[in-house]
Amino acid sequence: MNGVAISIKEVSKSFKIYKDKPLSMKEKLLKLRSDEFSTFYAVNNVSIDIKKGETVGLIGHNGCGKSTLLKLISKILYPDKGIVEVDGRISSLIELGAGFHPDFTGRENIYMNGAIFGLSNNEIDQRIDEIIRFSELEDFIENPVRTYSSGMYMRLAFSVAINVNPEILLIDEILSVGDSNFQRKCYDKIEGFKNSGATIVIVAHDLGTLEKICDRVIWMDKGQIVEQGDADYVINLYTQHMNEKFVERKQQEFDQSNDSKVDEETNTLEQFSEVVENSFSEDVRWGNREVEITQARILNDKGQSVDTVLAGKPMMIEVDYKVNKVQEEYIFGMGFYTNEKYLIYGNNTQIGELKIVDIAKEGTVKFKIKECRLLSGNYLLNVAVVDKNHRALDFIKYYMEFKVVSNDKSVGVHSIDYSWEI
Amino acid sequence: MFTEVKEIFNYRHMLISMVQRELRSRYKGSFLGFLWTFVNPLLQLAVYATVFPYILRVQQENYAMFLFVGLLPWIFFTSSLQNATTSILNSSNLVTKIYFPRIILPLSSVCTNLMNYIYSLVIVIPALLITGIELTWNLLWFLLVLSIEFLFVLGFALALSALHVKFRDVAHIIGIITFCWFYVTPIVFPMNIFPESMQKYIELNPMVGIIEAFRDIFLFGQQPNFGELAYSTMIAVITLVIGFLIFKKFEKTFAEDL
Repeated sequence: MNGVAISIKEVSKSFKIYKDKPLSMKEKLLKLRSDEFSTFYAVNNVSIDIKKGETVGLIGHNGCGKSTLLKLISKILYPDKGIVEVDGRISSLIELGAGFHPDFTGRENIYMNGAIFGLSNNEIDQRIDEIIRFSELEDFIENPVRTYSSGMYMRLAFSVAINVNPEILLIDEILSVGDSNFQRKCYDKIEGFKNSGATIVIVAHDLGTLEKICDRVIWMDKGQIVEQGDADYVINLYTQHMNEKFVERKQQEFDQSNDSKVDEETNTLEQFSEVVENSFSEDVRWGNREVEITQARILNDKGQSVDTVLAGKPMMIEVDYKVNKVQEEYIFGMGFYTNEKYLIYGNNTQIGELKIVDIAKEGTVKFKIKECRLLSGNYLLNVAVVDKNHRALDFIKYYMEFKVVSNDKSVGVHSIDYSWEI
Repeated sequence: MFTEVKEIFNYRHMLISMVQRELRSRYKGSFLGFLWTFVNPLLQLAVYATVFPYILRVQQENYAMFLFVGLLPWIFFTSSLQNATTSILNSSNLVTKIYFPRIILPLSSVCTNLMNYIYSLVIVIPALLITGIELTWNLLWFLLVLSIEFLFVLGFALALSALHVKFRDVAHIIGIITFCWFYVTPIVFPMNIFPESMQKYIELNPMVGIIEAFRDIFLFGQQPNFGELAYSTMIAVITLVIGFLIFKKFEKTFAEDL
C-alpha cells in the first residue's frame, strides 16, 4: 500500500435482479413468489490503483457501474470477487444527510452526524463554528432540522461531511447542492483538499468541472473500464463517443418516425396524391412546378437517411425531381440556413460547373460533401431547382430541419482548421 | 474478531451518540420526558405486584421486591432483543448510504436498554432500603452478572438483527419466543413452583442462573451461585460467537437486501 490510497484488484460485483423477491419465510418456503432472478454485473473485473493525493474522476452513462464502484470503495457494498483496500479516513459525499434526525436541532445533528463519521465531541467542538459558518445557517442552527428547506438541509449535510477533514473523499453527483454561490464554495473547499494532499474520487456528469479538477479520468461502460488517462484526453474521447451515440439514437428516432410517416402516406396516398406539396406553406415553397422536387434527404457516411449528422464525416444531400415540362437548362441548388433563417452556405450546379440540359423525366441529383464542417446546432436545409434565367421552378426554402453534432467546441456555425501559438 | 473490536472502538463516538439519541428521542415531545424511563417499570411492577399475590396466591416474602429485582433484567433482555431485531432495518437509510461497522446498530440497541436498566437501579436501591432489605458488599457481584447477561443478549441480538434483514418474520417469531420464555424463567414466581422433575430442564435455560443471581445479590445479600453462573457464562459466550459469525456472514449483503 505504499503511496496507494485505494487499491482495487480484479473486483467484480453482481446484483441479482429478482422478478418477485420472496421477503418472508412463508413466501420463501411456499414459493408464493418466484425467486427467479437474472444476474447483472454492475462492476466486472475492474482493477484500479489510486495514488495518495490523486484526484480521479469517474465518467460513464447511467448504469455503467461508477456509483457501484464508489460504494465498493466506501465499503457499503462488498465485492463478489477481488479485493478493495483503502488506506486512510474516508468521508463519502455519496448520500448527504443520512442519519439526520428531524426532531433534533441543526446543532445536535451536527454532533450526531459527525459521530457517524467517527469524530468525537471534542473534535466536533473544534470544528462546529466552521461547520455552521460554512453552511450559512447561523440563524437556524437551533431549529429542528424538520423545519429546514431541502436546500438548507443539504447545505448542513455537506458542511458536516466536508469539514471532517478526510484523507479520502468520495463524491457522487452531489455538487448540485444549493445556489451557485454555495457551489463555488464547495468547489473551493474541494480544491483546498486537493492541494492539501487528500485523495479524491469524484463521479459527476459535469464534464467541464471534472476536466478542471481531475488528474485522471476513468471512463466506465457496462461495469468495465473503457479508457483511463489524462482528464482532457479521456473526456474528449468520451464526448466523441457520446456524440456518436446521440446521433445514432436520433437516427433511430428519425427512422421510426419516417416509417410511420410512410405508413400514413401509403394509407392516404389515394386521397392526397401530392403530400409533399401540401406540407409547405407558400412563403416557404414557391415556383411554377414545371420541374418538381418530389423528395429530398440527407444521407450520412453509411448512406442512411438521417436528420442528425456527425461533423467531420462525409454527408450527402439527395434531391428527387420530376420533370413536368421540359426546360432548356436546369440548375439544382441547395443551402444551409441557421434556425434564425440566416443563410450560411449555398451552392448550385451552375456554381459547381455542372451544366444540365438533357435529363431523365425522373431522377436524383446528389450533392456530395467530403466532410461536414458545421458546428453543433440545428440547421435548415434548402433545396431548389431553377431554370437558366434563375426563375424558380420549385424552390423549397426550408425543406427540413437537421441537427449537427460536432466534437469541435468552437462557437459559431462553421469549423476551420486552426492552431494557437505563442 | 480483534479487528472488529478495534473498529468498534474507533467508532465509539457513533455508538455513544446513537445511544444518547435513542434515550432522548424515545421520550422526546412527551410531557414526562425522561421520567418515563422510571414510570414504565414502576407501573409494570405495580400491576404484577397486585395481580400475582392476589390472583395466583404466590407465597413469597416481600413479593414486590422479589418481582422487581427479577423483572428488570428480564425487561433488559426482551426489549434489547426486540429493538435490536429491527435495528438494521430501521436504519436502512444509514446502511445503504454510508459506511460504519454495522455491529454498531444492534450494539447500540442493547446498550440503550442496558442504560435503561442502570437508570432503573435508581429506583431499585431506594425501594430495597424502604422495604427493609439490607445491602451488602455482595452487591458488587452485580457488575459481573450484568456483564454475563449483556454478552448473552448481544449474541442473540446480533443473530436476530442480521437474520431479520433476510427474513422479516424474525420480529414476530421473537415476540412469541420471549413470551413463552417468560414462563419458563422464575420471574413472577420462585423456582420451586416448578415440579421437581421439570427443574433440571428449566435450569438449562441460561436466564435462570442470571435472574437467580440478581436475586441472590440484591434480595438475599449473598454471593451468586457460581455453578449456575458459570453455565450461563458458557452459554452466553457460545451465543455471542454464533451470533457474531451469523452477523459477519449476513453483513456483507445488508446494503443490497434492504
